[in-house]
Amino acid sequence: MSGGFERREFLKVIGVTGAGAAVTGCRTDEVERLIPYVTPPEEITPGVATWYASTCGECASGCGIRVRTREGRVVMVEGNPDHPVSAGGLCSRGVSALQGLYNADRIATPLRATGDGGFEAVGWDEALDLLASRLGGGGRSLFLTGAKGPTESMLLDGFVEAVGGQRVVYDALDDTALRTAVEIAFGVNVLPRYEIAAARFLVSFGADFLETWLSPVKFAADFAQMHGVENGEKGRFAFVGPRLSLTGQNADEWIPARAGSETAIALAVAGELVRRGGDAGPYNDVVSGYSLEDAAAAAGVEPEALSALADHFAGGDALALGPGLAGSHQAATAANLAVLILNAAAGSLGNTMHIDAAPAGDASSYGDLAGAIAQMGAGSYGVAVVSGANPAYTLPPAAAFGDAFGAVPFKVAFATAMDETAAMADLVLPDAHPLESWGDSRPSPGTYAVRQPAMRPVPLFDSRPMADVLLDTGQRLGHDFGAATFRDYLRGAFDRWLAEDGMRAGLAGDPNRLWRVALRTGSVSHVDLSDKITALQPPVTAVDFDAAGVAGGGAAGDDELTLLVYPSPRFGDGTHANRPWLQELPDPVSKVMWHSWVEMNPATADRLGLRQGDIVSVATPEGSVEVPVWAYPGIREDVVAIAMGGGHTDYGQFANGKGVNPMGLLAGDVDGDSGALSLLAAGVTITATGAWQRLVTNEGSSDQDDRNVAPAIALSALGHAPEEEEHAEDGHGQLRELQEMGGFRPVDTEGRAEDFPLPGSDFGPYDENQPRWAMAMDLDKCTGCSACITACQAENNIPWVHENQAAIGREMHWLRLERYYETVDASHSGPVDIRFLPMLCQHCNNAPCEPVCPVFAAYHTPDGLNAQAYNRCVGTRYCANNCPYKVRVFNWYRYTQDPADGGNIPEPMNWQFNPDVTVRNNGVMEKCTFCVQRIREAQNRAAVEEREVRDGEVHTACQSVCPADVITFGNIRDHDSQVAARAGDERTYRVLDALINTQPAVHYLKKVTHHDVEEAGH
Amino acid sequence: MPTALMKRLWLVVGAGAISVLLGIALIGSRQAPGEGEAVQAGASMEQSQPIQFPHDTHAGQFLINCQYCHYSAERSVDAGIPPVETCIGCHREGLIDGRNIPEEIVKVREHYDSGTAIPWRRIYKVSDHVHFPHMRHVAAGVSCQTCHGQVQEMGVLEEMAPEAGNLKMGWCISCHLERGASRDCTVCHY
Repeated sequence: MSGGFERREFLKVIGVTGAGAAVTGCRTDEVERLIPYVTPPEEITPGVATWYASTCGECASGCGIRVRTREGRVVMVEGNPDHPVSAGGLCSRGVSALQGLYNADRIATPLRATGDGGFEAVGWDEALDLLASRLGGGGRSLFLTGAKGPTESMLLDGFVEAVGGQRVVYDALDDTALRTAVEIAFGVNVLPRYEIAAARFLVSFGADFLETWLSPVKFAADFAQMHGVENGEKGRFAFVGPRLSLTGQNADEWIPARAGSETAIALAVAGELVRRGGDAGPYNDVVSGYSLEDAAAAAGVEPEALSALADHFAGGDALALGPGLAGSHQAATAANLAVLILNAAAGSLGNTMHIDAAPAGDASSYGDLAGAIAQMGAGSYGVAVVSGANPAYTLPPAAAFGDAFGAVPFKVAFATAMDETAAMADLVLPDAHPLESWGDSRPSPGTYAVRQPAMRPVPLFDSRPMADVLLDTGQRLGHDFGAATFRDYLRGAFDRWLAEDGMRAGLAGDPNRLWRVALRTGSVSHVDLSDKITALQPPVTAVDFDAAGVAGGGAAGDDELTLLVYPSPRFGDGTHANRPWLQELPDPVSKVMWHSWVEMNPATADRLGLRQGDIVSVATPEGSVEVPVWAYPGIREDVVAIAMGGGHTDYGQFANGKGVNPMGLLAGDVDGDSGALSLLAAGVTITATGAWQRLVTNEGSSDQDDRNVAPAIALSALGHAPEEEEHAEDGHGQLRELQEMGGFRPVDTEGRAEDFPLPGSDFGPYDENQPRWAMAMDLDKCTGCSACITACQAENNIPWVHENQAAIGREMHWLRLERYYETVDASHSGPVDIRFLPMLCQHCNNAPCEPVCPVFAAYHTPDGLNAQAYNRCVGTRYCANNCPYKVRVFNWYRYTQDPADGGNIPEPMNWQFNPDVTVRNNGVMEKCTFCVQRIREAQNRAAVEEREVRDGEVHTACQSVCPADVITFGNIRDHDSQVAARAGDERTYRVLDALINTQPAVHYLKKVTHHDVEEAGH
Repeated sequence: MPTALMKRLWLVVGAGAISVLLGIALIGSRQAPGEGEAVQAGASMEQSQPIQFPHDTHAGQFLINCQYCHYSAERSVDAGIPPVETCIGCHREGLIDGRNIPEEIVKVREHYDSGTAIPWRRIYKVSDHVHFPHMRHVAAGVSCQTCHGQVQEMGVLEEMAPEAGNLKMGWCISCHLERGASRDCTVCHY
């Protein structure tokens, strides 16, 4: 066959033919238009980002944000380091505001119900006339609203009063049990202010303060400060409760107490403290009646664990939190009060916990809502207005909201997107998103934080902020609120605040100047001038501490299961379920995406004959849901748990039919003292349906096996660690190369990493003058919250792939959070050790992906980045196969395109795309770039200003939201840089480096444990 | 005879693949002219600028600095297309009326008065996966003409001849090589 076709020649012919076909198919004469401004906005320079300081509107915490806009379009949301609440952090839900703003399911025009279940579009004028005539046309009005900012709330209250109505504040994540307990204990209706950073010992009675409870971003920052090791010391954190939430997974010790037993434990520990000389004031007698032994028996835990708890409290600087929402049961007020008493007995009051003397904020309870529902049903209201709440979804059916609401003659919903409640309304008014609106928050009496629109309302949606609609409607009805727009109203409120609180806080000066300061930095604040309450008051209401928290539960037998419904770290009460980033964000605890699951202990699953993925029917007398089992060692054997937020029926394409809504399983029982809804249900039955599904998860393994990917070091071992050869110059150790007979042989480089790859094997000069970008991550601070993942996705135009693709491991995240169980045992109290590891491209100096790329798309840059040249990539995927860290992801389909073109991203969600980052198409491999666009931007800026890039000037996207200060990024060649300092820490290690000599640029600092660590060797 | 077998296999597979691809190419080329004509018929309007802006008068005759209008070139990745307001700064009613083409000035004023942008036809564009930071090049002393041609002599702005390799990667690289600038991929591609 000597005259045959050679393979090489064949490929040439194919290449030429292919090129010919491509040329005929290509069209270069398309006309593209450049549209200039008529009059340029002052603050916009084309190609340069404009940043706005504002206040996040995704939950009631009011974290500070910085909004990045390009040419008037919002593209990114980050934490605001100047903000008094969040201090630079943000959570996934905060970042996902971008997808609320550009959500494809936003309402485009005012809608009027046609009577046959449909809606017709109407103009704003018509809609407002209709609203005004109904509100002015007699009949009382009910205003059912979520938590609003103080000034919007003031306007709302004024409006409600003017039109003769009633306002009920409804937040499904209800804190009224805590407020009521504070009122009983201290005589004032406020939320306590916790100073976690000042504590040495922290115990949470089930409060998920790192995920959903009160102000999770602030708490995460404080917790990292308190619990992260510093100068050989770190605080200790114990978690008491039936289920390890993400917060619980961060604990050093777990006391797996029975659901509803917090009261007994808190009072018994307080009693022990009083016996040791503590003072619980008027409650001394009450607490002395509780013994550790009885409490331990009630909670199903060892008495020694509780006495150890008392020892830690007696050590001073302690703080108890809780019980939080997941522990919200029928005696929730008593439980909250018990924890407050414990704090008082431990001397925390005025030290780690503060009670302001002045009441603040809106609060009504589920009980108030139930009253309003009854009145709606009785026909007391002519008009019902709903805003910022979705009771038709978040309330248990037992509350009978739907029937009562349906009975109101005229129902109005203010909503950005259609939801279950808005779908029942007669008039739906498209509300502006917080990123398009004015507003404010007052996190403490001496602080004023402003929310300002970061862009004009998205032009596809003819939305108006509710506050402006109220002012307009007020005018139509002849009510004057002293301002034509809410912006003016807010400005007036700011001046009044300055005149009252501001002056006292020492904020003197021109109000216009201070207003500009607020707009520029996000807030103005001075001293904390609140008066504090420092002692317990005699109880005004008698509280029954011995009431059972769980009806029919508590002393349940071994086979009895209690259902615990908890707010989702991703969706809260379900408000954020229409965000595909969050749907595809692996749940921080279960790592499951897109669907719901029921958590149960592996022993319980065994007993019921179930395995992971078995679809079971979870039933209570109220109803049942079918959901797959996720076996979790971090939950008591007598408890099963389901997260809120799934099972929407009318909340847009990304939420409908995803998961199940567990609220349907609740009986609508309330806490007698506060009226808060109980989220526990006893006597739940689990039946296998016979069906099984593969869980949609990105969890490869919860066990490190013997790889030691996330090692830890005992606190006592710190300072005694043997000096490893790892930490030579630049954090690079002895360089080794693969030798023919297996194993490695040392390369003589005098420790200089730049000598590797060896001469000739690299592309371009490895310049001495180039920086070497590197990252350090302190795993002792990482709480696993996963905000970094969403920030990365937002910054880098990373698409979502939907449930079916994610199920087969094709999710596109450049960053994932590994979670490994080391010590988790629900059968007794003891240490818990769960390790978190944010895993991203390690930018190996000796990268296995690079030599296998046939087209040099994966290569190393002179400044130490492992780069991926998208337009060189031909999609062989060899690099991903050769990557030991599994951080390379492949565009199997045209995920980034419009659904009409076979993609996933509908208009206008692609408006969020970062113009500084290439949008990848199918057939291309991609991975973390260390946010190279931000590096280049900083370098461009520095070059124009004729200076060097400063240390800390480049913030990666993940770093810019991390509340716990885990991530440091910079030039490791600069020995004075923060990243070099962290990389030189004795805890520093690099994942798999000792095993496979990849020489990563990502340096991890080991987690520090209070207990001794037995490490599996390599 | 594994080698011979493989070669025979390649021959068969290869011939098949080539005929399929050639077929596609031929169909493509047969269809292309028709479509091309359709595009060209409406092209004159599409292809011309909405306002006949003479760069030679402004930059050549009156020596107006490029950055007077392209205002962000030295501080941004984008050079900036002048807002209509910039035009009106000089061409306000009663100021400069345009000696040669006054009807074009009237159009500019109409745009300004009605608050509508001028939909300029884009001449220069690098691909979406290329980042060209103007400011770095201005800071490095690269003249605008290096990439955009002798604009001050052009009555109608035209792209530099493709034969010169304009805006192709090799052309960028040759300059980067000459000047000792980085030719790392991630300088432009990310």
